[in-house]
Amino acid sequence: MGRLKGGKKLVYVSEDVLEAIAEVCREKGVAIGRFIEDALKQAVRLEELGYNVEEVADILEVIKAQKILGGAFIPQEVLNFMINVVYKAKSEELRAGCFESGKLYGRYMREKFSNPIEALKRFLETSRWDLSEVNVSSEGNINRLRCVSTVLSVEGTELLTKFVEGVIRGLGYEVLKVEFIKGIVIMEFKKV
Amino acid sequence: MTSLIRGKVRRKTFVAREDLLSHLAEIAERKGFSLYAFVNNIFELVIKAEDAGLNLKRFLDDYTAVKRAKEAGFILWLERLCYVMADIAYERSRNQAVKEWFEAGMWFAKRYILGFEDKCWEEFVRDLKALLWNVQEFEVEQNGDVVTLRVLSPKFTEAYTHLLNAFLEGCISAFGYVVSFKEVYRGRIFLEAIKAGGETERR
Repeated sequence: MGRLKGGKKLVYVSEDVLEAIAEVCREKGVAIGRFIEDALKQAVRLEELGYNVEEVADILEVIKAQKILGGAFIPQEVLNFMINVVYKAKSEELRAGCFESGKLYGRYMREKFSNPIEALKRFLETSRWDLSEVNVSSEGNINRLRCVSTVLSVEGTELLTKFVEGVIRGLGYEVLKVEFIKGIVIMEFKKV
Repeated sequence: MTSLIRGKVRRKTFVAREDLLSHLAEIAERKGFSLYAFVNNIFELVIKAEDAGLNLKRFLDDYTAVKRAKEAGFILWLERLCYVMADIAYERSRNQAVKEWFEAGMWFAKRYILGFEDKCWEEFVRDLKALLWNVQEFEVEQNGDVVTLRVLSPKFTEAYTHLLNAFLEGCISAFGYVVSFKEVYRGRIFLEAIKAGGETERR
């Protein structure tokens, strides 16, 4: 890092990265210096907020997917109340809705992510914070997903199961085994 | 102004504020990175965000709100199913549904009143806007003792609109406002509220 006048310093960066930045700046019509300074400020802010620059890149993708595919925030208590009311009358409709939405998410992940199974794991970890554990393992061509939650109701677990089943189908996998009890979902699947 | 000087192994240099770089150097050292590697990571992230059509600052604002939503007991759910469920819950158990949403709004707002003191309203509005990302238009104005909220979202169902209105009424009542005028119909909410005990109400 070389020191310059006026509280400035020189720092190295890879030529490829800097060219990509220059390209973005050209498209946006902003000065490279301003863009770089903003980026560095945000990086400091990220760290101060306790986020990790590397993790944020993954979270970015998930939030974008949620915005595109139709994720909405809802108070958990309200959701639980609505599930209780609706489940008594229209449980089949709800399950089918979760499954179909899951398929849509799965198709999106298949197109957008080079490792869609990892994307599913990240997606669940990032956006389903009612889950305390999301684990994916592979043995041969069989994949195994396990989700654990200490707060999910039986109905909530069943809806999550249908959603994940839909995602896996949308990803182009065949679901071999589905098990769920209150707070735990286990699924095995393999590539079709 | 940034100056780019070609280095040896496909590296270039750029000029940046010394205090910023020193701060980043400290963070990089703490994380076990060289400043070069760390700065490259940052720029790669920024480029990735731009490619995804996202602005890092905006994302950080949103993500902070998402973190707060998580702490406030919100969950990300399937929007389409929210509408279906709202319709059924509103039809089968209207009073209870409205009460649940109103109370959720009160509880949400109270977290800001207790947690942010002077800036509680600003923080609340900022986060609420970020959380309502499924709303096409959402405006909040505060003028003296009077607050107005406008929501426009053609995809909402009638029931969801009324339940969201209950949530918003819960929020503003937690801040001590009393609704003086409201207009709620499918996809549209307009609320005007006056601070209880404020100048406007006394007049």
